[in-house]
Amino acid sequence: MSAFQNSIGRGYVVSSTYLSIAIVLVIFIVLFISSYDAFSTVGWKIFTLEWNPSKDKFGVLSMIYGTLSVTFIALLIAMPLGVLTAIFISEILPEKFRLYFKSAIELLAGIPSIIYGLIGIAFFSGWVSSLFELATGRTILTAGILLSIMVLPTIITLSEDALHNIPKKYREVSKGLGLYPFETITKTLLPIAKNDIIGAILLALGRALGETMAVMLLIGSIDRIPDPFYNFLAPGQTITSKLGREIGESAFGSLHFSALNAIGFLLLLIVITLTIITQFYFKKEDRL
Amino acid sequence: MKKNLWIFCIPFLFIACSNNNKTVINASGSTTVLPVISIAAEQFMKTHPDVKIIVNAGGSGVGINQVGAQQIEIGMISRNITEKEIAQYPNTNFVVIPIGRDAVVPVVSSEIYDAGIKSLSIEQLAKIYRGEIANWKELNGPDKDILVIDKEAARGTRHVFMEIVLGDKEAEAAGADLVLGANNEEQTAIVQSDAALGILSNAWMNKDVKGIAIIMPNGEIIEPTLANIINGKFPIIRDLDLITNGEPTGITKEFIDYILSAEGQKIVEENEYVSISK
Repeated sequence: MSAFQNSIGRGYVVSSTYLSIAIVLVIFIVLFISSYDAFSTVGWKIFTLEWNPSKDKFGVLSMIYGTLSVTFIALLIAMPLGVLTAIFISEILPEKFRLYFKSAIELLAGIPSIIYGLIGIAFFSGWVSSLFELATGRTILTAGILLSIMVLPTIITLSEDALHNIPKKYREVSKGLGLYPFETITKTLLPIAKNDIIGAILLALGRALGETMAVMLLIGSIDRIPDPFYNFLAPGQTITSKLGREIGESAFGSLHFSALNAIGFLLLLIVITLTIITQFYFKKEDRL
Repeated sequence: MKKNLWIFCIPFLFIACSNNNKTVINASGSTTVLPVISIAAEQFMKTHPDVKIIVNAGGSGVGINQVGAQQIEIGMISRNITEKEIAQYPNTNFVVIPIGRDAVVPVVSSEIYDAGIKSLSIEQLAKIYRGEIANWKELNGPDKDILVIDKEAARGTRHVFMEIVLGDKEAEAAGADLVLGANNEEQTAIVQSDAALGILSNAWMNKDVKGIAIIMPNGEIIEPTLANIINGKFPIIRDLDLITNGEPTGITKEFIDYILSAEGQKIVEENEYVSISK
């Protein structure tokens, strides 16, 4: 390969990297500029409960609460389930079945979210309401459980890759030392794959925070924090469901539009903060 | 690389297959008006093969915003345009063309209807939406919490209903349990529940979603029938309108004239709305 071709290749790789960084920055800046109106007019009152565009009241607390609690439920269910499934596929399942299992699970990730939402509305919400004897199955819990199914493939596939990529010698050495398979998994393999599994969970977290369609259909869309606040069997609202329901109704350039941009900006801040905290907390150690 | 070259042909295939000679009319807005317009568009396109009419939902607020931003030709609305919305789009001259009349009816799950709640007064409805009545028992119904279904703030059905029941079209409903959007989304929620109260357009009732009568202050009970909408007795009625930016011209005008014609008004009546001529 000539030096010229090489420099083209390099230029392509470098420019596409900078392009993705630039896109993130542009989104951040555009969101901030278009939400500036709302932040300057509403000020700290944005952290209140009442949202009523016709009276210029834009309180976002209930939406932040909804977003965080839905994500919390989703990860609470999907994290153990996902990692355990990954361990099963990588370590226990015979190698020849591995690809079939993986592709079946990856199919889950390919299903459009609106389909999850429709199934959720048609069946799942009904089951939840009859199981807990609720007036309606459109609750924070329903949305959270559905979301956990949606983020599951992300966690499983990436964690499974992390475990599968560990060289065979580690398993052989720990077997040679007389460790049981259970000890091999918990004492040898999981610590090595830890960082990659956390990366998988982080990606799942991002998807859970940003998921719109399925959550919007299932959560009930009411701007309210349930009483008491851990009562997940009540309807709520997430930032994304609010955006999905109201962005079309707000006039471009109005304060309402700006406020909706502002909650989008807050969502971005939440994602960035959580990412930084996780990255910082689990500082990349040297891999193998 | 060469193997995958055919992928680059796909866009050209799409371009080649699409017919660019058609005149396109975009309409969107109220899900109450939507069934009428989509059937009318189908009929109109049969006689005008060179015209393509794309009909989208979204709610009255969406229709007004998109006509205001001059993204679409026809907006469908089931409420009045607010002054705020007119002020928002100084460059747009909204022209409102009524095409039919409709009632907004309080609806309940069939279980509640069968248990004997067949009429409510405006005062009782207001109390339910304000959160002062929370159980059907207080209205001599079964001992079940009322699942109060509210609609998104810019929806036409909500504006018309809240104006009459709570006195302010943008009133907050503290008693609401769910906030939903389109008529069909709300219809689904009411069918799924056995203790729901919601607000729907007259055309969206069926055996599982029962419209209830309204008790007037003088004690008279007014059923939500077509006759009562035509004679204006039913208290919550509204016009169904199309809006355009400036007087409609060309093919848009032809389409609107078709809806206003006898044939178009028959479609309005087949959808259980009241023709504008009555």
